[in-house]
Amino acid sequence: MLQFARLINLLIMSKKQLISTSLMVLPVILFGISLTLGRYPISPVDILKVLISPLNPEVAADIPEVAQQLILRVRLPRILAALLIGASFGGTGAALQAIFKNPLVDSNILGVTSGAGFGAALAILLMGNTWQVQLSAFIFGLSAVTMAFIGGRLYQSTPLLVLTLMGILVGSLFSSLTALLKYVADPLDSLPAITFWLLGGLTSITWGRLIPLTIVTLTGITFLWLSRWRLNILSLGDEEASTLGMDPLRSKLWIIFVTTLLTATAVSASGVIGWVGLVIPHAGRLIVGPDHKYLLPVSISMGAAFLILIDDVARVLLPGEIPLGILTGLVGVPILILLLRRNRTGW
Amino acid sequence: MKKKSTLTILCLICVIFIASCSDLGTPQEEAQAPSQTQIDASSAHPGFTIKADASHRDAVSALYSAIYAEEAPKFVEKEADLLVVPVTDDEFDRGRIPNQFLPDVAFINQSDVPEVLTFIDFAISPQGQQVLIDAGELPGKITLTDQAGNSVVINLPVKRVISTYGPATSFIYSVDAENRLVSASYLGARDPKGSAFMEKIDPRFPGLMGDDYFTQEDFNLEQAAALDPDLIVTSARTSWLETAAQLNLSIFLFDAETPDRLKEAILLTGEIFGPQSSAYAEAWVAYYDEVINRVQSHTEVTTENEKPKVLFTGTEPLRVASGEMYQTDIINAAGGVSVSAGLSGYWNDVNLEQIVIWNPDVIIVPPYGGASVEAITESPEWQILDAVQAGRVYKMPKLVVPWDTPAPDSVLGIVWLAQKLHPNRLDVDCGEEAAYFYNTFYQFAISPEEIASICQAD
Repeated sequence: MLQFARLINLLIMSKKQLISTSLMVLPVILFGISLTLGRYPISPVDILKVLISPLNPEVAADIPEVAQQLILRVRLPRILAALLIGASFGGTGAALQAIFKNPLVDSNILGVTSGAGFGAALAILLMGNTWQVQLSAFIFGLSAVTMAFIGGRLYQSTPLLVLTLMGILVGSLFSSLTALLKYVADPLDSLPAITFWLLGGLTSITWGRLIPLTIVTLTGITFLWLSRWRLNILSLGDEEASTLGMDPLRSKLWIIFVTTLLTATAVSASGVIGWVGLVIPHAGRLIVGPDHKYLLPVSISMGAAFLILIDDVARVLLPGEIPLGILTGLVGVPILILLLRRNRTGW
Repeated sequence: MKKKSTLTILCLICVIFIASCSDLGTPQEEAQAPSQTQIDASSAHPGFTIKADASHRDAVSALYSAIYAEEAPKFVEKEADLLVVPVTDDEFDRGRIPNQFLPDVAFINQSDVPEVLTFIDFAISPQGQQVLIDAGELPGKITLTDQAGNSVVINLPVKRVISTYGPATSFIYSVDAENRLVSASYLGARDPKGSAFMEKIDPRFPGLMGDDYFTQEDFNLEQAAALDPDLIVTSARTSWLETAAQLNLSIFLFDAETPDRLKEAILLTGEIFGPQSSAYAEAWVAYYDEVINRVQSHTEVTTENEKPKVLFTGTEPLRVASGEMYQTDIINAAGGVSVSAGLSGYWNDVNLEQIVIWNPDVIIVPPYGGASVEAITESPEWQILDAVQAGRVYKMPKLVVPWDTPAPDSVLGIVWLAQKLHPNRLDVDCGEEAAYFYNTFYQFAISPEEIASICQAD
């Protein structure tokens, strides 16, 4: 009887593993499919040839130069960026929901997105549209969280609660400042630029911008991956974590630091893309349950898959680009409502 | 602990302050009163001779006795110092704006007597207009239909105008009515170069710049009342019309995003400011039509497929002008085809793949919003495009008003673009036209060096 129970247990586990493994293959499959999608028609065979061409240039000799350049310089970096940014949002969302023990938390909990939005708007207003916008978004994203920390240190008790409060305050402060900048911006030139940036998009991704994004995102996600067992303990509560021999505050601060870095990097590359960090972990919980051993990797891969898909729609559907922030919201909100209605899974 | 919290609050206040500095920067500057031709009513009787039809003699007498204290003018049948002639010629006549003091009636100066010039200046000034209104020669009020379809009653002469819409301000300058402005919003005068030129064109510009009080979104009621305007001109898309209605003033709305609407807008502006401004407006419309016809006559042989394909980008390389924008009309007038004419709305974001499919022959970047040719030509991704390979990426010029906006200056945008699109086929020259345009419609003697640097800029 005991052995039978063990067998069932094993079966359940392997089913979960099967699901999470197959979910992890999903972004890879979507990546391949997305390479064949685009306004400019290129056959899948040609795309394969072009991808091999850096190793063996003769393979792609008969393919027009334009098609080769489009795949290598435009499509490939953009789809990679969608994958990385989606993974980053999904992972940070899951990690932050765990340590704040709150399912309504996403990467903007400490005001990083609002700060980055303000930084970008300021740079657009003062300097135009160049790499300075990205840098300014990154710096202000980090400053927002730093400000929340400085504010949070005013009180010694329940630091995480105060931190959350300060995050909300700093976030709304930067939102107001962004609104102020939009108000003074020239409605014919910098205002549309700010609005487009705040809605998010990956049109301007190039290899030059992708490289720092890749380094930070891969390092950050690896860190989160390695701390997934900590997330389980932290989500039980501080006392339980302390009993299990862990310094809960220290672990949380580390995770907050890494997620902030991840979010600031992602947002500065893509503009503000909402909902991925909030909705994806919920979808993940619905599929594999609340165990972060599975939830974290699944959130990461589902985030990547989701953003690749959304970005495909954004760049292929119409001759004009559809801002990502609009699409993620349109798809993300119904999913969230559905999930909240079917509130039967444990968080 | 208290110290720390005070410090934090101080920090927050600092951030707010610094961010809002751009809003607080400029001190309040009183708009100067419009300079007007002051004529001494007790001038001695100069005794120049005037030749006029019987139907115009009453008007001339009214003007004359207003200056020369009840004296009557000397009318002669021929060989006069000053002729009064009907303006019938609708053809474009370069460089000649008639001194129109009544609708389609103008003075022609035949002598070198300085009093004649003074007399003409007075006749076409707002005071002259007032004299003619009092004499019943001009209407005291007119009703015009503005471009939002509203009937607007305007009391004449209009002496104090607030313009909160950049294009409308440029209409007013082009019909030589800028001395009636008491506050204005300007196109292209925010950058240092633009504002320096604007100050050269009109020394009153720094005092007139009213962006702190009046924009399309914002209207400072008290400041408006303090300026005591006769008329407010603005865009049909303005959001504060109900607020401004409290002032019980005439508000005239413009909505000129196509060539026909632009011509209409400028003719309406002329009517608002009187016969002399109408003469300028008609001259501009005739010039605009003439330039378009001249460009077309050189590019006509080109069939639709042979016309150069043009991509008009915005403040970012991947932001392009839609078919509904005036930029598309400029491209058509210059003998090209806009590749993004199928898009609707305002600026559209697109991706590089779409641009590769469009495969433009020429790419234009605008002279505002930090857009630059280098952002395209120095980007490795954009090298796939034939236009970049061929070096055919150009920046639309501007003096103050960008040449791609629906304003009088856009006539030069058509000339410049036509030269870029059809390099060896056109005998219309950007420098020549720019010199004529700025001299005639802005009364600005632009130097050859300035012209060269504007027209050559790419």
